Amino acid sequence: MDERNKLIAYKVIAFMYFITLLALIGVTLVRQFVQKQEVSEFEDIAIIVTINTLFLISGLLYFGAIPIQKLKIKTILLGYGLLVVSGSLFTYAKYNIFLKLGLSFKQLLDKMIIIITVSGIIVLFFVFFSFLGIRRIKKELKE
Amino acid sequence: MKNIYYIYAMENIKLKIARIEKSLSQQELADLVKATRQTIGLIEKGKYNPTLSLCVRIARALNKTLNDLFWDED
Repeated sequence: MDERNKLIAYKVIAFMYFITLLALIGVTLVRQFVQKQEVSEFEDIAIIVTINTLFLISGLLYFGAIPIQKLKIKTILLGYGLLVVSGSLFTYAKYNIFLKLGLSFKQLLDKMIIIITVSGIIVLFFVFFSFLGIRRIKKELKE
Repeated sequence: MKNIYYIYAMENIKLKIARIEKSLSQQELADLVKATRQTIGLIEKGKYNPTLSLCVRIARALNKTLNDLFWDED
């Protein structure tokens, strides 16, 4: 394949992958909040979306599309904070606004612990791939 | 002072002249450098920015240097 054709193919495939991922996120949200389906009815889609998103961001970090060298502790903590805040808002909206289940303060606190832990695991996952990416670049530069 | 000849912004007339001097069609040059005729055409029109490796292959096929084909001096 000629290099220009490859470049065009990569761009088209990347764009369509991104659109598909957005569409799957949309489908998950519609099923949860509009159709009010049980999680078990769409958890297969949710798992695919979650894994894809995690590995998409990890891939961008590992291969240097996101400049790893510029990742500082402040940025990582900011990212962690954003994850916790967005997770909390989403949980609050899900239980108290959309599903109108109404959770007690203790129940919300329990969910917050899950959010904080899961967000921490996600951030560590990304930091790990960033570290692998930095190591890869250093190794390539040495050779 | 040397200026970079931005082949993605302007027509690459030097490349076209070098190709014609060698009596090569766009297709023949494309075959030599393992590209397509369209890619060669777009490079000559300044509508595609080739990779360095393709630039080197083109320069070798036309017995020119990168400077001759892709660099412009004041």
